Amino acid sequence: MTSKSIDGLAVKKLVEAGLAWLRTNQQTVNALNVFPVPDGDTGTNMLLTMTSAYNEVSNLGHHSAGQMIAAVAQGALMGARGNSGVILSQLWRGFSRALHGQDVIDAPALAAAFAEARDTAYKGVVRPVEGTILTVSKDIAIAANLAIQDTDDPVEVLRRCVKAADESVQRTPEFLPILKQAGVVDSGGKGLFFILEGMLRFIDGESLEAPLISVQPLSAMNLENAMDDVEEGQDWEVVVDFRPQSGFELQAFYNRLEEMGTSIQVGEGEGMYRMHIHTPLEKRYEPIDYIMSLGTITKVAMENLLAQMEEIGNQAGTTLELTNIEPGQIAVVTVSPGNGISRIFASLGVAAIVSGGQTMNPSTKDILEAFENLPTDKVIILPNNKNIVLAANQAKEVTVKQVRVIPSRNIPQGLASMLHLNPDGDLDKIAEKMIKALESVVTGEITVATRSVEIDGVTVKEGQVIALLNGTLAVASDSLEHACMEFLEKAHASEYELITLFYGEDLKHSEANHIADLIREKYSGQEVEVQEGGQPHYQFIISIE
Amino acid sequence: MKLGFVTDSPADLPADQIERYNIEVIPAILVLDGQPYLDSIEITREQFYQRLPTFRQPATTAAPSPADFASRYEKLLTTGCDHIISLHTAEKLTSIANIARQVAADFNNQITVLESGSLSLGTGFQIEAAAEAAARGLNLESVLEQIQSARHRVCVGAALDTLEYLHRSGRFPAAVTLLGSLLNIKPVLDVREGVIRPLGAARTTRQATNLLLNTLQEHGPLEKLAILHTNAPQRASDFLASLRASPACPSLPEQIPLVNVTSLIGTHAGPNGLGFAALKKEPVL
Repeated sequence: MTSKSIDGLAVKKLVEAGLAWLRTNQQTVNALNVFPVPDGDTGTNMLLTMTSAYNEVSNLGHHSAGQMIAAVAQGALMGARGNSGVILSQLWRGFSRALHGQDVIDAPALAAAFAEARDTAYKGVVRPVEGTILTVSKDIAIAANLAIQDTDDPVEVLRRCVKAADESVQRTPEFLPILKQAGVVDSGGKGLFFILEGMLRFIDGESLEAPLISVQPLSAMNLENAMDDVEEGQDWEVVVDFRPQSGFELQAFYNRLEEMGTSIQVGEGEGMYRMHIHTPLEKRYEPIDYIMSLGTITKVAMENLLAQMEEIGNQAGTTLELTNIEPGQIAVVTVSPGNGISRIFASLGVAAIVSGGQTMNPSTKDILEAFENLPTDKVIILPNNKNIVLAANQAKEVTVKQVRVIPSRNIPQGLASMLHLNPDGDLDKIAEKMIKALESVVTGEITVATRSVEIDGVTVKEGQVIALLNGTLAVASDSLEHACMEFLEKAHASEYELITLFYGEDLKHSEANHIADLIREKYSGQEVEVQEGGQPHYQFIISIE
Repeated sequence: MKLGFVTDSPADLPADQIERYNIEVIPAILVLDGQPYLDSIEITREQFYQRLPTFRQPATTAAPSPADFASRYEKLLTTGCDHIISLHTAEKLTSIANIARQVAADFNNQITVLESGSLSLGTGFQIEAAAEAAARGLNLESVLEQIQSARHRVCVGAALDTLEYLHRSGRFPAAVTLLGSLLNIKPVLDVREGVIRPLGAARTTRQATNLLLNTLQEHGPLEKLAILHTNAPQRASDFLASLRASPACPSLPEQIPLVNVTSLIGTHAGPNGLGFAALKKEPVL
């Protein structure tokens, strides 16, 4: 890298640095969640998108800056997950378009690239919303353009862009009242900031690692995704809740734990600590013995991760009878968060299922691969989540097949839409009918609040059962039964004909039936149907129609 | 040349039409708990639905006997008819037309056997068209043309309340995609060329009724229309009222009967089903 321009190899280094710093700050971005529900974490989505982007260039040697960025953009496109990931991929696409054919990037080229990135991202969204990653990209482009008035050093341009991004992120609550209500800044914008800041930190020689020791609030501990990074030989997960004696030293605690295993997380809340670790078989009792010497253990959970993974694999492998599509017919690809829901979609005639939903947004590539090999060129995609719609649209852009995306925001909408499929019909007419059907159903989602917040006029304490009515927080309650009943009341269920309960993986059939019976008692004029949904985190998905 | 007409009880022809045109109606046979009954003669439709939930075995159907056909044909030919048109429910759905053909083969080309490709008044409207044409003095060839024309213009649609009975009957392979559904589904179907096809599906009665209404309205101006039901007169009259009130309502005939369809269909469709049989107007050239 000369002082005045950035070459291809430097581009690669900078992308790697942006990725590393985003990874370090992943949980910070994830925590910026407006609704207190377990859903597609922005930090994770952007990180996976960036990882896919970097993987495209990680093995590339000497290439021009333009070629390098083009590869990054291609990787980002295929790996894009969640709305922020898709917008991030579009930023890279614009960036790459502006730098096409450029050997190195000088200051004016960098500013032009930021401008093109912004334009591409705005065009990629049907109704751009301010106070999001889009606004941050716009402020970055403005800052870059101003910077080149008085410097020809691309690093200085980047420095000013990072500053502008930081300020822009802080301003996002002024555009989006919902952010202000929830007391957070926009997560996608923050993620973009970290990527650029990581590049600058690399240039400045600052560390891209996390501070070695960190204790997070208990509520921020994300043990759900811990399964994603099981390392070989570290196949036991141990979680210990404990109350340390006075004189508890965190540094020493970490040092000792590191000798026992990996994926260490420590959370703290009101004097209570929770430790999470992955260990090999023979060491699985060591953390418990060790912690017992430090204080009082209140709870121990130990799980065999490999066995669990196999189980998940087996479940995924259970025979789903997907519809065989003939050439020329319409194939429907749906995103499903659970086995039960997958089986129901399969029984209604879908041709392919992509696993995913609230907590795991599939990438553009995942969706693309689900339909690329189907023997027809007419495809309808049901994303069933508002955070997957953009990735579905992107899959549509990169295929030669005729694709229609039905913007279903939840499972009940997806199912309602599916009833209007006629595989032999006209693609546009069927898509039109399916879109029309989206509004025919009222949706409830019942889950446990991941943090305390006051939003949409509802005060929620962490750990309470909450109900979302058509995506808006409607009920917070201390019991699942009560939350369900109050939700049905708010949804005016007595004015409808049918209430369908899809129960999640955390509930037993008998528990679901018990609540269904309570509902039947109160809603004698309505039919109540219970179906196994198998979705994670959500005790119930409810459809009222 | 005097023409005689024979059809079957699943054609759902109203009594006044049967009388006016002197049409012979061959009753299909219902088998209820092992006991055969002549459709609409030995058991009324209301009685049938009343008993439906109490049957120990699923109700089944049987074709009428060849002797029944032969005696009707002979009766018409010996009372002054020169030729008979024997028009029956879709051959893909019942064996009635087949039996008619076998019997007719013994009658020296005096009988033309046709199948309607339809059911209920989808068949009934075709035989009505034929009888009306004959009454206007048209010859055999022209009457057959009228039947052809009507055959192309009839449409039958239905919104079933449940898939249970259709499932049991095992008769409708085209609807198979819906039969495996894990959700309780109310299918909306139509019948074309004897094939029952799913038009869509609904989860609630209201959705199903709306879907059926839209389907009917897509057919444009109608020469004849009957609202069909399986023992659900209220649902049928509500449907007619919302059809008339609909802004997209096509031009309708004056008389629109509500018809509790043959129990033969009831055994396959189950109770509380709604449907229509319509004869589209001939396009004005």
